[in-house]
Amino acid sequence: MPEKSFSGPAVAVDNLSFNYGRQKVLDGLSLEVPAGISFGLLGPNGAGKTTLIRLLVGLLRARAGTILTLGKKPSPRTAHLTGYMPQLPSLYAELSVIQNVEFFARIYRLRNRKQRTQRVEEVIKLVDLWQDRNKSVTNLSGGMKQRASLACAVVHNPPLIFLDEPTVGLDPELRVHFWDYFQGLTRGGSTLIISSHTMDDAAHCNRLAFMRDGKVIALGTPDELRQATGQAKATLEDAFLYFIKHGGVNKNVR
Amino acid sequence: MSGSTLVIAGRIINQLVRDRRTLILIVVVPLVIASLVGVSVPDKSILDYTAPAIMAVLILFFGFLLTGISFLRERSQGTLERLMASPVSRLDIVGGYLLGFLLFTIVQTMVLFFYLIYVIKVNYYGDLWQILVFQVLIGIGAVCMGTFFSVLAKNEFQMVQFIPMIIVPQTFLCGLLWPVSQMPEYLQWLANVLPMTYGVSGIRELMLQGQDLLDIGKEIAVLAAYAVGLLILSAITLRRGKG
Repeated sequence: MPEKSFSGPAVAVDNLSFNYGRQKVLDGLSLEVPAGISFGLLGPNGAGKTTLIRLLVGLLRARAGTILTLGKKPSPRTAHLTGYMPQLPSLYAELSVIQNVEFFARIYRLRNRKQRTQRVEEVIKLVDLWQDRNKSVTNLSGGMKQRASLACAVVHNPPLIFLDEPTVGLDPELRVHFWDYFQGLTRGGSTLIISSHTMDDAAHCNRLAFMRDGKVIALGTPDELRQATGQAKATLEDAFLYFIKHGGVNKNVR
Repeated sequence: MSGSTLVIAGRIINQLVRDRRTLILIVVVPLVIASLVGVSVPDKSILDYTAPAIMAVLILFFGFLLTGISFLRERSQGTLERLMASPVSRLDIVGGYLLGFLLFTIVQTMVLFFYLIYVIKVNYYGDLWQILVFQVLIGIGAVCMGTFFSVLAKNEFQMVQFIPMIIVPQTFLCGLLWPVSQMPEYLQWLANVLPMTYGVSGIRELMLQGQDLLDIGKEIAVLAAYAVGLLILSAITLRRGKG
């Protein structure tokens, strides 16, 4: 089970801004994510979701504003408490699935050999790659690479996990499998921050932040966001369009 | 050196061992080039004089190329980003690369050296182990240099441009083609700040004059300083939070 020593919000972002050169990517963004839930960052390409995740894992440094993950500023000292699955599978192509997962287990300080071996086996079985554990990553399909990448991100059982578009390119069956697994992780006490641009994914999250042009335009549960449109049968897509049209953060929902 | 450094080095060795074609090329390419050197130099005494310098330049070239391209690949396939988001320090990453690739650079160095000595029959003086130790030092410098410039390069095209920019001037100015002392003064100044000049000078003193490592303290100090300096610079340049 993940460490649960921290009782505050899993993620707290206040007035965060970030530029790539002259291009403003995040603009005064604030949000809080309670621990133990799946939190979706939803928005079109270019909304700033990946940049926000890269800031949260400490790959980028904020120009303005503050970020706290599990109550601390992101740094290598706190990195063992977080898991990160980048948008691309980001695996060592020549190595096998088990060698990749084993490498990240060691990097994330699973030092006890017996426990590490058990955990590596457990996580590879969880992503349903045990039969293919000795295959080189080069010989895996796109979906299998995504699963191997997920295994690398969660092998150390972190309390806070960042998943950048984890379901992109997955077939519907695998997508369902992934979401079952994500829900299992939150039930076990982990907090998941998931970026996506599909409303299918959004419906599975406990809470959502709709993002557009580097800003959060709405925050709430999927139901709250749907209801905010005032339409009985509104979908999350309708809700997203509603908030774009009406602009800014909906205070009632937030 | 932390445990993570060794884990990263082990992973690099694993990767290359599983990539059979690259592994074969690492051994075969130095042999092909050494053979070319052997058959293209008509006079045996010229070969004896030029071979040590050629060896030093080839170690630099292969070490730089292998490390530089591999490190860049780590960046382009996203695994470097993943490592940077983990608890490992920048020095662990750079140190791991140095250790991992050093093994293959040493293999290339040995292949090149023993082939030139025992097959091409290059004559040498001095102790074999001392020559090898010095060549490994050149290899360490090459790996550090490759790591540093690949950290600077953002893509493969930029890295490819670094090869002629870093390797070719050193080849021309290190004393391989003509003595540094006969170059114009400003070129001598430039040659004297380039590490390969010290690599060539040191290996010539060991192999042609039969001197000991203790006699080439200046060369060893300069090469070691370059290696340490580039290693630290690589770690600084490879910063977390880089946009």
